[in-house]
Amino acid sequence: MSAYSMHNQDKTCWNCPAIDLAGMVDFRACGQSLQISKARSDDSDTYILARCKRNPGLGVYDPTTITFAECPEWIERPYGYLLRDMRVMILGIDGYLGWTLALWLGNLGIKVSGIDNYNRRNWVKERGAHTVVPISRMSERLHAATSVLGIDINFREIDIMDRARLAEFIDEVKPEAIVHYAECPSAPYSMIDAEHAILVQENNVLGTLGLLFIMRDLVPETSLIKLGTMGEYGTPLTGRPIFEGIFPADAILKWDNREWSLGGELTPRDPVSFYHVSKVQDTFNVYESCKYWWLRSYDVMQGVIYGIHTDQVAADERLRTRFDIDEWFGTVINRFVAQAVIGFPLSIYGAGEQLRGFIALEDAMQCMVRLIASPPDPGQYGVVNQMSGYCSIRSLAETVAEIGSQEFGLTVRIQRVENPRVEADIHPFEPIYDNLPKEFAFQPKVSPEMEIYRMFELLTQPSIKQRIEEKKHLILPRTWWSGQKKPVETLEVIDEVEYAPRAKVYLS
Amino acid sequence: MPPELKFTSANFQTEVIGSDVPVMVDFWASWCLPCKAIEPILSELAEDYKGKVKIGKINVDQNRKIASQCGIQGLPTFILFSSGRVIDRRTGSQSKSQLKEMLNRVS
Repeated sequence: MSAYSMHNQDKTCWNCPAIDLAGMVDFRACGQSLQISKARSDDSDTYILARCKRNPGLGVYDPTTITFAECPEWIERPYGYLLRDMRVMILGIDGYLGWTLALWLGNLGIKVSGIDNYNRRNWVKERGAHTVVPISRMSERLHAATSVLGIDINFREIDIMDRARLAEFIDEVKPEAIVHYAECPSAPYSMIDAEHAILVQENNVLGTLGLLFIMRDLVPETSLIKLGTMGEYGTPLTGRPIFEGIFPADAILKWDNREWSLGGELTPRDPVSFYHVSKVQDTFNVYESCKYWWLRSYDVMQGVIYGIHTDQVAADERLRTRFDIDEWFGTVINRFVAQAVIGFPLSIYGAGEQLRGFIALEDAMQCMVRLIASPPDPGQYGVVNQMSGYCSIRSLAETVAEIGSQEFGLTVRIQRVENPRVEADIHPFEPIYDNLPKEFAFQPKVSPEMEIYRMFELLTQPSIKQRIEEKKHLILPRTWWSGQKKPVETLEVIDEVEYAPRAKVYLS
Repeated sequence: MPPELKFTSANFQTEVIGSDVPVMVDFWASWCLPCKAIEPILSELAEDYKGKVKIGKINVDQNRKIASQCGIQGLPTFILFSSGRVIDRRTGSQSKSQLKEMLNRVS
């Protein structure tokens, strides 16, 4: 095992979810807690102590004295030390990411539990669409996970808005990390009408807020790994770097002949739909909870995710994760591949020069495990920009076209269509995405070409191709940010595709 | 990378108060985002002022007695000690040049 992958070896019980903090734990900011300390006239020097839930025989001790590398409960695994039989609960376990992560974690020996209320299945059905890669019912998925991979998943059908039942399940399982994917992930869905915008914001914002109170009361030492989105930042037209949620200390505000360090302040957000606004609101709710109650969280600002492959989901047809291509839930690279497979021109909105960060499914899973393995400090709200590179939407289309035509013999065209969204077609984009590689030793393993190739392999299978054909009328957008419901007009069809120079794809 | 030196209740007297060279102490806590953000700058300064000023940090939650004795009521707080006396103290995030301004008072 290389030292490189042991990014969390120096973490201590201070970070471990398997301890109770004891002693004079005061959750207020230092000025307030100082007054309490003085009032108590307590001369004890070490005020915060640890009590290990897994080894109570240790008694009460200084939480900074035992490192993960020294603790027998933390064992070496491919992505850092992992807590033995760690209990991880996935909220939204039936989704594209949730199901994939459940199998990924289970394969590492993690005890996986999860909730879902099948909202995603219902929302896609509402559009009249279907996942083009067929997925099984949850009962079959669970059975296959056990029989094929030997992974037992503790599943409960619960709506995140049902706080009583969620609290009961969390209290029963006592998860040591919670991965929160139980949000509506669609910008267009939130822009359909008032009813849908309210539904998205209620589910996302209030669901998360309720969860935070449950964690405060039942599992305050558990880390929360919450899915945000790079879309929270938007694309600031000032061209300033898109930092990882928080300004670094060398970001200076100069004004009126004076200067201030902005270090540690949340950076401005410029969300691009009511869905993205819900994520921004989440950011503030999670940040405040960490501050008020010493909860611990990583906010994962995920770039555009794409792909279909992990070894676990590919192990059996019943273990496949969903793959949507409709205008509400289809994400850009996945949709391009599906379009290429059926000879439908790849549709780019507007000029197609919008720059976006992206990450392959398998790489995103690696990131999540690394975050789970390295819990934040008590009270820490940490942010990571989760992407492995960035490029223009047009160059992504060109890459898909190149692989589709050269490797699979398809005739692939690209069309520019009207952009139903309100966004800048051409804009500066300077994302910073250093935290995952530097702090968590994340290294992308999957190139866009490799994952796009794997998608073509699966999607060109006749039965799946047929499922794409059946729903191809639902691919192009009809949901406009203006509120209109009308088809987009084609602006240009590009028959002679110039393939994207490889240099345009920035793998870190 | 955080500054190398971690002060605690156990070594504060010898490493800070009794130090032969001036010491800048960063009082910090894990819930304080500016405290986290400033770590790389402190590391750079620790290197730049090596041999002239000792720069380290102390976690106020883990060492509340020291925090109390130093009257820490907001974070981050930077206190510059020389021969056990407080030469300068500032609360709130500081730019690199502002920290250098502090350090240059004793170097």
